[in-house]
Amino acid sequence: MSRVKITEYRAKKLLLGSAYRGIPVTGPDAVLPKKGRYVVKVDQGVKQRLKKGLLFLDQSAAEVPKAIARLKRKGFSRFLVEPMAGHKAADERYLSLERVREGIRVIRCDEGGVDIEERPEKTTVSFYDVRKADRFLAHAVDVFEKHYFSFLEINPLVGDTPLDAAVLVDSAAAFFADGWSEEDIVSASASHPAEARVADLQNTSPASFKLTVLNPDGSLFFLLSGGGGSIVIADEAALKGFGAQIGNYGEYSGGPSREETYLYAREVIGLMLASKARRKALVIAGGVANFTDVKQTFLGIIDALGESAEDMRKRGIKVFVRRGGPNEKEGLRLMSAFLKKHHCYGAVYGSDVAITAAADDAIKSLRA
Amino acid sequence: MSILADIRKDSRSRKDSMLVLGSHPAIIQSILDFDHLSGKKEPSIVGIVTANRKAEKYFFGTREILIPCRPGIGGSDAPAWMLNLQSGRRTYDSTVAFFETYPQALGGHIFAENVPEKHTLDLMRRFGRKHLIVGPSGVGLLVPGALKLGAIGGIDLAQMAASRIGTKGNIAVISTSGGMTNELIRSVADHGHRLSFAAAIGGNLFLVSALTDLLMLVQEDPDTDALVYFGELGGHDEYEIVDLVKARKFTKPIVAYIAGVIDEAFATHVQFGHAKALVAHSGESARDKRDALRAVGVGVPDTFPEVLAALGTLPQKRFTDAPFAIDTLLRRQKSILSTRQVADTGALSEGPYVKAMLEALIGRPVRSPVTLAFADAVFTYTIDHGGQVSGAVTTMIAARAGKGLVESLAAGLLTVGPRFGGAVNAAAENWIRGVAGKESAREFVEGMNRRSELISGIGHRKYRVGVPDPRVKALSAFAKKLEKHPHYDFACAVEKVTTGKNGKLILNVDGAIAALMLDILAECEESSAEELTALTDAEFFNALFVIPRSVGFIAHFMEQKRNDEGLFRLADDLLFVRKETT
Repeated sequence: MSRVKITEYRAKKLLLGSAYRGIPVTGPDAVLPKKGRYVVKVDQGVKQRLKKGLLFLDQSAAEVPKAIARLKRKGFSRFLVEPMAGHKAADERYLSLERVREGIRVIRCDEGGVDIEERPEKTTVSFYDVRKADRFLAHAVDVFEKHYFSFLEINPLVGDTPLDAAVLVDSAAAFFADGWSEEDIVSASASHPAEARVADLQNTSPASFKLTVLNPDGSLFFLLSGGGGSIVIADEAALKGFGAQIGNYGEYSGGPSREETYLYAREVIGLMLASKARRKALVIAGGVANFTDVKQTFLGIIDALGESAEDMRKRGIKVFVRRGGPNEKEGLRLMSAFLKKHHCYGAVYGSDVAITAAADDAIKSLRA
Repeated sequence: MSILADIRKDSRSRKDSMLVLGSHPAIIQSILDFDHLSGKKEPSIVGIVTANRKAEKYFFGTREILIPCRPGIGGSDAPAWMLNLQSGRRTYDSTVAFFETYPQALGGHIFAENVPEKHTLDLMRRFGRKHLIVGPSGVGLLVPGALKLGAIGGIDLAQMAASRIGTKGNIAVISTSGGMTNELIRSVADHGHRLSFAAAIGGNLFLVSALTDLLMLVQEDPDTDALVYFGELGGHDEYEIVDLVKARKFTKPIVAYIAGVIDEAFATHVQFGHAKALVAHSGESARDKRDALRAVGVGVPDTFPEVLAALGTLPQKRFTDAPFAIDTLLRRQKSILSTRQVADTGALSEGPYVKAMLEALIGRPVRSPVTLAFADAVFTYTIDHGGQVSGAVTTMIAARAGKGLVESLAAGLLTVGPRFGGAVNAAAENWIRGVAGKESAREFVEGMNRRSELISGIGHRKYRVGVPDPRVKALSAFAKKLEKHPHYDFACAVEKVTTGKNGKLILNVDGAIAALMLDILAECEESSAEELTALTDAEFFNALFVIPRSVGFIAHFMEQKRNDEGLFRLADDLLFVRKETT
């Protein structure tokens, strides 16, 4: 449902079809070439690879496996091996396409390798018009539309050959697109195992779950509900100067079941216990829900807290709660009773106080 | 755009009528509750598009109604609104079908989050100009007293009452977040205002009806005096507000919160919960948007608590809260009360099955091995008493008529009653009366005779004095395990009186089971007299017959299925047909 990166390999394969000679290396089974000269690069959505030493030009066939090994040692796992083709810098151009409300926005530049956000004056911006498009552009837009691309950047483009291609696809279109699949999606940094598990949960439920690890050794951990409410609460922490201490951003919403909420809460609690911070607090908060059942979701959270209550009590971790919505009274009552029983009670508020109250209390307690 | 005026007009014009695509019972019921509490005479939902059923049952007020279901969009009506609750995969096709079938519709709401960008933009181009379509994603459109299109405003009666969504006011709320829409509607009410309308446009990058369309709705609505807006980082929608304010096309006061300054605390931009919530290009950050809005004079406080404080400064308009009488509706929601605790533990129970069974029936732990042994004996003896008894015969006849197991079992159980198998409980009532009362056994029997009542627990067609029922003999041995057995004693005393008149009026198995179980519960499980009476009132003692005898009936059913002799017909010579004399 958001725009996600796919591999350069897949992007070029879709653009060039069988003419494309790149070899994707994702495991030990890749068949590497025996002769010729090659470019070896990391294919995980990382930008500025040459500068970062993640791209090796002009490698002999014998050097290719060694280059891959060097990149593996830097912590990467997906690579691309392409035949080396020399070209003149003067032939480089820039082309990007982006799906916007008005249509497809085309940005061109006669120089390659330009940072177009920094040098907008060098670019030509237009909306795609099939009558004015050259063959390559028409073909690129064709592929763009057919495969539900949201963004395509070719930097540089030499003639009709993209030397580098970065594509964002619309993850909501995974069901409709047959040119790419989940396996082609990459994220620039390695996913934390907790993030991967929450992504799995998201994929197997009609409800919404998100988790991003920010500071693994932070002192403030968030178990928040709602895409909007979660940002408001996180903003409050930043505005109080506590941004660097935030362990995670995340949210659950869309009426998850007790069991799903349990699985999600468990991940956040696990992150919190693993943090090396001396003092920690957990904020369980959100707005006044439209249809998410506060009692059911809180029972799921209590199930998860129950597994770690002893640990939390020993480390003096307190829990601060603010929530409203269906079955709010019951849910807050159960949570309150549980926290008091396990000596983790920080504060429990309902819809009669501001959405930011629990976070404010948590920060105060960590600063005390 | 007079859409809001149209919607608010007298509901007889049915500008609130909506067709629901897909189903979500809680949301649908909340819309019907809103309709009822708003004083409407008819529900706004005219149909549900869903396969496999003809109708769905809901409450309208405290009255149960059926909302007709249909497998496709077409029908004989002309709904004004589409409420599309389907998944993101199906949304495009069904929305196109709806607006092509009903081009005069006012608009709709698309609930799904996972709608591909291409689909949204296509819908925007085809229908976004002529119709007001809120979404995809988000929770819909709310016009107090007139229209609740979606989950917006909540689904819980207490929540809806607390947010005062029945009262027509002068403050509009527009938000990218469903949860924050609800939060802000509540905050508006808590700060002394009421809502004119609210729209939750969702967190996707592209919308079908643009933010500009909704802003113009605010601007042109004579009932709205100010706007409370919630936005976030990502995308460019808020610049539409900037443009409209600059061009003086939007002139009403705005209080806005743009969420996402937290993004600055991190080294790289973070993808937040909503699909759009990522700073992909310059100008998309929360700070940039806040600055741009402030530059044209829009009030954008730094913190959310400051936004709440700013609500107090919005223009006041007098209002009268509509009575939102939810109490009778709350009672309606508790349809069946159950306190039975059931847990899927996966642990094997300790003890025999009969222990789990008894504990389920009595509702508390069973401690004594005597109780268990007795129950086990009762259950074993009672499984079957031959195919001649009325229940077994009925089961077999049903089986031979080709009926299934459940139907044949049910047929046999329907013969259980005071004359067959159902006397155990009535016998228990007799023995309890005897132990509690002041009557002797003789007085008790004579009282029953005077009233021409049969004594349950006494009498058998076959067994008699001298030819005892082996089951009764075996069960009576349990009396020896007890120190006292007053119910059994009374029963035996009654038997002495009745067999004095007729040898067949012995204590039968029903009577023995009832008497001994009462004594065992009293002594071994320490049941009080009140508890025993309560069990009898709930027909516990008949369950002691029905449970094991069901096994027997099923065994007969299975045998008949194996035999497969075909439909049963009573042989002519077994039916006595009496010719009526005229």
